[in-house]
Order: sequence, then C-alpha cells, then structure tokens
Amino acid sequence: MVVTMSTEPPLARAYDKLRPIVLQRLLDMRATLDPTFGRLDEPTARAQISAVLEHLGNFLASGDLGSHRAFLQTFLAMRAAEAQGSVAVLAMLVAIGDTAAQVAQDELAGSIDGAELTLLLTRVTATTARAVNDLVAEELARRVAQWNELALRERGTS
Amino acid sequence: MTQTVSQQGIRVAGDTHVGKVRTANEDSMIVDPVRGLYVVLDGMGGANAGDVASQTARDAIRELVMERRMTMEPRALLEAAIQHASATVWHAAQQARERHGMGTTVVACIVVDPTRAVVAHVGDSRAYLLRNGRVQMLTRDHTIVEELVDKGLLSADEAERHPYKNVLSRNLGAKPEAKVDLVDVELRPGDRLMLCSDGLYGYASAEAIQYLLGSGDAPEHVARDLIDLALRGGGGDNVTTIVIEAPQPPPSSTQVVRTTGAMQWWQRRSRFLQIAKDRGLTKNPIVRGLDPEEALELIASSLCQAIFHDLEKSTGVNVWTFAQNIAGGWFERAGEWAPLRALMDILATSARAVVDEIGVVDTNLGFLLSIAVSRALVVAELAIGGLLADRLNRVDAELIKVHAAIQETIQGGPEASFETVQDTALEDTGDRFIDPFVDRPTVPFLRPDRPVTSPGVNSELIDAIEKTITIARGRTSLRAELVKQILGAVQTIAIDATGNFASAVLAAREIYGVRPVDDTGVMPLFDALDQARIITTASVHQITASDALRAKVLRALSGAHQRLVGATTGLVLEAVAPYSERLREVQARTAAMRDEVAKFERKRADLERKYATTIDHSQPWEKRGTTEW
Repeated sequence: MVVTMSTEPPLARAYDKLRPIVLQRLLDMRATLDPTFGRLDEPTARAQISAVLEHLGNFLASGDLGSHRAFLQTFLAMRAAEAQGSVAVLAMLVAIGDTAAQVAQDELAGSIDGAELTLLLTRVTATTARAVNDLVAEELARRVAQWNELALRERGTS
Repeated sequence: MTQTVSQQGIRVAGDTHVGKVRTANEDSMIVDPVRGLYVVLDGMGGANAGDVASQTARDAIRELVMERRMTMEPRALLEAAIQHASATVWHAAQQARERHGMGTTVVACIVVDPTRAVVAHVGDSRAYLLRNGRVQMLTRDHTIVEELVDKGLLSADEAERHPYKNVLSRNLGAKPEAKVDLVDVELRPGDRLMLCSDGLYGYASAEAIQYLLGSGDAPEHVARDLIDLALRGGGGDNVTTIVIEAPQPPPSSTQVVRTTGAMQWWQRRSRFLQIAKDRGLTKNPIVRGLDPEEALELIASSLCQAIFHDLEKSTGVNVWTFAQNIAGGWFERAGEWAPLRALMDILATSARAVVDEIGVVDTNLGFLLSIAVSRALVVAELAIGGLLADRLNRVDAELIKVHAAIQETIQGGPEASFETVQDTALEDTGDRFIDPFVDRPTVPFLRPDRPVTSPGVNSELIDAIEKTITIARGRTSLRAELVKQILGAVQTIAIDATGNFASAVLAAREIYGVRPVDDTGVMPLFDALDQARIITTASVHQITASDALRAKVLRALSGAHQRLVGATTGLVLEAVAPYSERLREVQARTAAMRDEVAKFERKRADLERKYATTIDHSQPWEKRGTTEW
C-alpha cells in the first residue's frame, strides 16, 4: 500500500518559497561565484545552481547527513571532472549557503521563521564546509596510502 | 539655555540667545514633549512690547492646546491655537497705548507621533526638514517681497536686494485674526525638524545650517551650535532654535554584532577558555607537550581574540589567519586530519555554548551572534580546506611521478615516463595525442578493500528495502535505464549482509562501464546517481512501515548510495587525476609563455621609446634619419 509522504517541516517549506529569489540572486552574481558558472549560459547555470538549491531543501527537510555527504561527493567529482579544485567547490558551496541565508534574513525579516531559517542555513553551510573538508581529507589519506604503496613497489622494481 | 527632552523616542532640544546687539530677548519658545508642542515666536514692537507680544502669544497657544487637545484634530488645533494667540495679542495691544502695533511671528509644530507632525507658521520664522542629509524649507516667509515674488511681480534676485525684504506681510497681533499656513509632515526615522527665528538664518549661511543639522550630533549640541553659528555671523538679532529628531531607525544587525555582540563575546573570554578546557582541548594531540594553560592561551585564547576582532570589524581575516596558522603548522608536522578536526570541533562547540549563554540573557543578540560565530567557523573551514586541497595536489603530483617511474621501469623507454609524455604532447600534436584527452575512454582501477562498516541487515529490513526500491522503480521514467541500474545497485549494496565496500566498487565499475571523462560521459552518470537518491528518499516515505523501520531503511539506502557514489567518485578521480595534472602543467607553461611575451613587449616598448627620441618631426620625411614605427 502506498501512503502519502510525511509532512514537510515548516522551515524547509519556508526555504522552498524563497528558492526562486535565491536562485535569481545567485544567477546575477554567478560570475563572482565561480568562473565556470560565469562562462555558462543562463539556462545551464540555472539548472546547475537549482540542483544545489534543491539538494539544500532536501537536506533541510530530511536532515540526512549521509545523503548530504553523498551529494557533496558527487558534486566534488563532477567539478573535478571540469578541472575545478575542491577549494573552488568549497568556496562556491559556501557562497550559495551564504546567499540563501542572506535572502532568508532579507525576505523574512522580523519573523520567527526568518530568524530560524537564517540560523539554520548558516549552520548548514558550516556543516557543508566541514563535510567537504572531511571528503577531501579522506581522499588525501587514501592517496597518501596509495603513494606509500607505489613507493614501496618502485623500490621493489628498481 | 538648551532644553533637552524626549517624546516617544523623539529627541528635542531648544535654545535661545539675546544675540550680540540687542539688550532684550524678544523671542520666546515652547518645548513641551508631553503634548508634542514646539513653538518659536519672534516678538516685535518698541518699549519691550516685542517680548510681551511673543510671551502673550506663547501663553495663549499653550493654553488653548492644553484645553482642547483631547477634542480637536492636531491640524485644526494648531490653527485654532495660533488664531487664539493672534486675538489675544491684538486685544493686549489695544489695552495699552505703549503696546500698540506689537506683534509676533510664530512657527509651531505638533508632533502627533513619531511618524507624523503638523507645522504652522505666520511671519518669517521658519521650519526646516532634514532628511537623508538634505535640508528642505517647509515654510515660506510672509513678507511683502515674498508675496510679490509669488505673484510674479518680482524676481528672486530683485527680492534679495529689495529695501522692504524684511517687512512682514503677516504677523500675530496686527489683526484679531491671522492667516495661518499649515503643512502636514510625514516623519521618517532619523528625520530632523528645525524651527527658528530670523536671528538664525539672517546671520548664518544655508550651507552651514545644513551642515550642522545633518552632523549627526545630538539635538542639544546641534541647537547650541546653531546659536553659536548665528553669533559668529554677527548675532545682530535674538536667535532661537528648536531641533526635533524623529526616532532613529533601529541599529542594523551588523551594528549590533560589531558593538554589543563583540563586547559580550569578549566579556565571556574566560568562560570560553574554561569550556574549551572542559571539553578536552588541552589533551588534543596538536597541543601535546604544551602546558595546559599555554595550550589554552595559544589556541582558545587566540581564536577568541580572532573572533572578537572579526566581529568588531565584520571581517573574517583574523579567524582565517588563526585557522591557517594552526592547520598549516599541524600539516607541516605531517599531522593527520582527525586531531585537527577534533580540535576545531571543541572550539566550535565551546563557541556555540558561550553564544547560547549570551542568548539566554538577550535572545536577539544571541541569535545574531550565533549567525556571526557560525560564519566565523565557516571561514575557519575555508582556510583549512585551502590547505587540504594544496596538500592533495602535492600528493597527487608525487603520486604521478612515482607511477611514471614504475611504468618506466616496467616498460622501459621514454614513452613510459609521464614527464616525457607531457613534453612530447606539447611539442608534437601529430601522432601521440590525436584525440582530445577528454574523449579517451577510461576504466580506472579501484581496489575493493575498504573496511567493513555495515552492522548487517535483518529480513524485515531487507523486505522493506525491496519494497522501497520497487516503488522507486515505479517512479522512474521508462527510458531512465541508468537510474534503474543504479537503483538495483543501491538495493544490492544495502542488503549486502557483509556491508563490504567491495559490492559498492563492483557495482560502480559495472555502472561506470567504459565512458569518456567529460560532460557527456560523467555528467549523466552523476545526474542519474542524484536522481536515484532523490527518488529513493521520497519512496521510503511511501512504504507501509513503522517510523523506526522507515528510518532504518532510509539509513541503509543512504549508506548504500553513499558507498556507491564514493566508489564511482573514486573511479572518476582516478581517471581524471593525470589529466588534471597535465592541465596544471599546461597552465604553468602557458603562464611562462605569457611572461616571455610580456618580456618581449617591454623590449619592444623600450626600442620604440629609444627610436622615437631620434625622430625629428620638424624635418621632411626623407631627412628624419630613422624609420617611423
């Protein structure tokens, strides 16, 4: 039997209403957000930023850190495939989070929802930054191990 | 004497001075914040009649306002009060011979509330409004000359030089009735209204008045300074002024954080250090070997100070520098990520605890500081992220060198050396790299040797996972084969009782297949992974199960998805790494070439300058002796 989805939390709902404004603000400043975004045509940039904003909405609704990490891992890999380093990705994700928090503060000024959403988005940005650093550090550890292994092999073969 | 009062947040100050020439002050004023009534009167008439006129009018206005303010609308009340004053002065003048002809000007204001005021005037006492740094005159002098200008009979220049320019066309007391001009003023936060007698504007320039009124000083200082200004300008008349300031807009969040927030944070410095100590900062491997107090001073105190300075100046530079110093030093000592992460966690939770304590006392400030401190922690993560990325790049470069060296040893010959391949590729575009590198299909190798992390799954959970994936498949478009393949893989990984990373790697390799490392190869794969994640998460909510079981399913599928993404990412990163390195090398070579070009440009410019000086343009072309560039 199929049942309806659980109710979306109010803050996630408030965020969803703000998403078009956040998107527009990010599109307006996309050249400063990331050079790659600056070079993209608007529909493509819109689609890519929308994906991040949509994921942020899902994370706000579910609070599922695992899926957040998975998303970030995908995002890092996609940007790596475009020859964008993790620093650029981190800076971009932080800029997106900051802009969302700024929009919440501006648009919902004076309301309890506005204050809570602003704080929540700021904390989500902090969580995101930490998660990206975790992923990079894990990758670094893996490569260091790989390097050690290869160095041993090199010594063995020579 | 300056009077300073306030009404509903409105700040008012009034001041009056006899001036440097007159012996008596014929000006009067009312500063009455209870009724919101502010009046400046400038009396006229010989034998002390001027001060009698202005005081009589003042008392009459106050009397009527007190009597009728509850029953009359402010505009009508002000007009009635001035009419009453006019009648009262006129009657007083009729009763004593020496007071015949006495009269007074008036400019009066009732501030109804912080957003609304009514201004009325008769004669040449004025009202000004300062808004956003610009001064606007609200009244028009009731002089004969001004009225001629209004009727178009005189130009403004002629009016300025007219011998009767100070002769009033209206005042209180000349007749029992007075014609009163009224203006409704909508006040905005920070607006300033200024009422004055002609002793001010007659002896001070409009620019100086605007400068003082817009100075941002408190109204009492402005009122005093305006009087001083008129005195410095000669002080030829009595001078009176009242400055009314509408409530300032509430301070912005940034201002609050920069002032009160920073101060509150700094005042809790010792509390921050104590919490950090309680949470084990002094036991962190990064500060091993240091005395606990020294460790606290070096780490916690430095961060506390950095946050304080950043709050004060609305920047992140101090926290950035702090994080770079700590992380840079630790990484230089070949330190691992985990202790640094733990240290940052201790500092972050301590900072949040302190902010929470501030929030108990002042909710709003606590909220603003929570945001500001969270931002500071993001800045710290950004700084550390830069160092991690830098380290990753260096390890990557080393990895490629080692890999190339091994290849060379195994295969022999220059082709196997990565650096040789790089050089050749740049110089020889003919044979070796015909295809753009992004089109080269890659099947990278990733060892399935990640540690076991899954606690195992029971049959109830397996059943729920299968149902979820069935629903997810139903929600997937018929053509989205890749998404369906991923859903299958997620299911397999999720119900793999061993929880070994191997199943994720195998599934990833199967899904990855042979695809180019470019937008057309990798992007659809990650899009499909993302789509699968969204569909799976949504489908969990549609199975019939207890909340606890749903949570388990969500966790299992999330974990499986994460493992699959991790494995796929590993494949992509391995495939991309050599190309990224090549790209960096090419970028470095391009930069070097650009420097060369710049060098030649400079040389060319030098030569141009050298030859330009030898050209004598006054000579005919053939005699100039050198070539024109």
